Amino acid sequence: MASLSEEVLLVLKKVRQRKQDGTLYLMAERIAWGPEGKDRFTVSHLYADIRCQKISPDGKAKVQLQLVLHTGESTTFHFSNESSAIKDRDAAKELLQQLLPKFKKKANKELEEKNRMLQEDPVLFQLYKDLVVSQVISAEEFWANKLGGVNNTDPALFNNKQEVGISGAFLADIRPQTDGCNGLRYNLTADIIESVFRTYPAVKEKYSENVPHNLTEKEFWTCFFQSHYFHRDRINTGTQDIFSECAKQDEKGLKSMVIQGVKNPFVDLLTLDDKTLDEGYGVSTTLPSTSNANRTVKESSNYAIIKRFNHHSAMVLAAGSHFWTPLCITLPAQFFFYIFFETSSTDGNSRDSDFFQPPVKKVKLQEAIEYDDLQRVNRPKTVPLNLKKSDRYAHGPVPLQSQQYTTSQEIINSVNYIRHEMANYKPNLTQVLSSTVASSAIAALSPGGVLMQTGAQQAINQMIPTEVQGELKHLYVAAGELLRHFWSCFPVNTPFLEEKVMKMKSNLERFQMTKLRPFQEKIQRQYLSTNLTGHLEEMFQTAYNKFHAWQTRRMMRKT
Amino acid sequence: MASEDEVSLLVIVVDVNPIWWGQHAQREPEFTLSKCLDAVMVMGNSHLAMSRTNKLAVIASHCQDSHFLYPSKSWKGADSGADDASSSGDGKYELLSVANNLIAEEMRNVMSKTEVRGNSTDTLLAGSLAKALCYIHRVSKELEVGQEIKSRILVIKAAEDCALQYMNFMNVIFAAQKQNILIDACVLDSDSGLLQQACDITGGLYLKIPQKIALAQYLLWVFLPDSEQRSQLVLPPPAHVDYRAACFCHRNLIEIGYVCSVCLSIFCNFSPICTTCETVFKIQLPHMVKPKKKKLKQLA
Repeated sequence: MASLSEEVLLVLKKVRQRKQDGTLYLMAERIAWGPEGKDRFTVSHLYADIRCQKISPDGKAKVQLQLVLHTGESTTFHFSNESSAIKDRDAAKELLQQLLPKFKKKANKELEEKNRMLQEDPVLFQLYKDLVVSQVISAEEFWANKLGGVNNTDPALFNNKQEVGISGAFLADIRPQTDGCNGLRYNLTADIIESVFRTYPAVKEKYSENVPHNLTEKEFWTCFFQSHYFHRDRINTGTQDIFSECAKQDEKGLKSMVIQGVKNPFVDLLTLDDKTLDEGYGVSTTLPSTSNANRTVKESSNYAIIKRFNHHSAMVLAAGSHFWTPLCITLPAQFFFYIFFETSSTDGNSRDSDFFQPPVKKVKLQEAIEYDDLQRVNRPKTVPLNLKKSDRYAHGPVPLQSQQYTTSQEIINSVNYIRHEMANYKPNLTQVLSSTVASSAIAALSPGGVLMQTGAQQAINQMIPTEVQGELKHLYVAAGELLRHFWSCFPVNTPFLEEKVMKMKSNLERFQMTKLRPFQEKIQRQYLSTNLTGHLEEMFQTAYNKFHAWQTRRMMRKT
Repeated sequence: MASEDEVSLLVIVVDVNPIWWGQHAQREPEFTLSKCLDAVMVMGNSHLAMSRTNKLAVIASHCQDSHFLYPSKSWKGADSGADDASSSGDGKYELLSVANNLIAEEMRNVMSKTEVRGNSTDTLLAGSLAKALCYIHRVSKELEVGQEIKSRILVIKAAEDCALQYMNFMNVIFAAQKQNILIDACVLDSDSGLLQQACDITGGLYLKIPQKIALAQYLLWVFLPDSEQRSQLVLPPPAHVDYRAACFCHRNLIEIGYVCSVCLSIFCNFSPICTTCETVFKIQLPHMVKPKKKKLKQLA
């Protein structure tokens, strides 16, 4: 069974499987085991079939490796070499760890896709059960139509994943826990690390410089959290720290952002200030000066915190949007061009670039006062309707029957008669109905009476139980699918279509035999002669007729 | 048991076409308009007796106009009713006796004012239905707070359908459907396609009765229960309604036809020009294989 051309990657002796001694071979595409002394392999699994591997925990006496296949079965190998059992097992495990992922993706993806489709669409699932499980058509034929066509667009959509933004609170979410003895534990996940790198590119630079040359990852992060860069008060920046440069860079970055200003022409940030109106309305102190020297300690620490907050928020926004600076997000993409001009000017003072300001402001104004939905739609000119005989619409579907023609004399007679009769009309309510008349009327209205005849014919869906109805629906869906395949082959132009037509005809016949006839027999046995499958039979018969006609024409053309 | 808050209004539209009734009375003297009206009164009394909050209205549908028999404008209330009530003397519920007397009186008035006119011999049924709908609308607006109303219209039809009233009829039917008002129909003589449609669309019952003298029994059995109670009873099943359209050229009822995409008029045959809106249409005919011309042998 072992082909000589296979490359053997690892051979492990003294591996037991099912209480038999043997040798384990790991090859390029499969793993195999053969018993001691024999040439052939009793167990062989392709890596593609293996779903996962499991190892017995370290403390156990038996050193085992288990392979779980996609189908659910598992094979266990017991490493019984006294000296090197664990080593052998680990070697096998490592090799498998490397090899399995390579083969996994190929087989899995398709299967997963198919499984997903079957799970999402119950109709498809039912169709699959009806056609493939009962072997009317093969699975390849079934999937040939489904995987191509409509569903091709779906995987493309899944690939365009949205970029995940950064949570503004990612640093706060780290939530250090006390270690018990005056230390702190920080739990870092890959997400948090990624957020830190995206928000603070300076830290990323430091990381790439120092790790893994100078510091391990653990040390780097410990240093990060210990440094004052991370902590609130960055007052002591004199200490030797790899992050002290980052602090300086941050200051520079923040300054440049402030200088750039906000591009929104309707917002003038400089006028937002803590103004005081009177005693009790706001703080009545002088405006805080921007020079550091005049600050009190408390004010400067507040100032530092606020500065860091702003910087942090600005960095988070900048990391989230790649194309434009976070301060220009509100403007429409058409004026992107203008924004680039503004940002490229070294003098960030927006008032200097007056030349470009009007369009931006105009656009914003337009946006605010116009709604696209309410604009007049420029529809193409239409021709007015020109009806010549519009009274035709007034007549309903009451066909012009021959009216009973009444002569004027008759009319006069009738009217006089009735007037005469009603002139002395007095209601006589005790003589309205006689009992014989009443009972005959009741007889007519009772079930089985003259007026109740049509009731028995109606509501066929109330006479047939729901399971039978459900089965009929499944039959229709499955038959419809087969017939669709059949009819799509015409006109038969290529040899492929010819083959398909013949295959489909045999499929139809098989379906009729295996599914339709038993169903018909069942309903005939249980219920009276309601013809539920007449239409299905008709459809099949039409298909067969078409096939025969096509076949005879083909024969004639050949001869 | 109907709750105090629910008002059930029944409007009975009686077809009193004098020409039809006159002709009919001469043919079958045992069932005349008087008998018909008696049966209607029995129905009305029964409806009023079912619950204290039930209301009734009766409209006579004539060829000249539609007239409210009950409630009447000339009803002065309890004052003048006292004499009539005491004169009946059988201890009847006053409301019923007042109603009966009013209906009879109004009927006599209507019939006495009938004039002979040859041009309009059709019952103005669409108009009566429209009046009924307006009355129902008015009553539903005059309800007290917290009261709900369920209304239905019962049409007792004698004469044939009038094709000219088709559009009005359909408008009335759809208006009734929007207002959740049932239209029931009790047909005495010839089947009426319009009323069949009305009953089908609004959810009412259509019945053509085999015996006219048993009209009261049919009315009480089939049309007295309201729509909730009807679901619990075994009543005549709804008839199959012919919804086929009629072609504009011959007025034949067709199942498959040609429709002009511009004016939506229906034809039974294809014609290259729509006769209603004069649009030109082309239809692809299968290729005509020209017969090969045989060369004539030249005579030497």
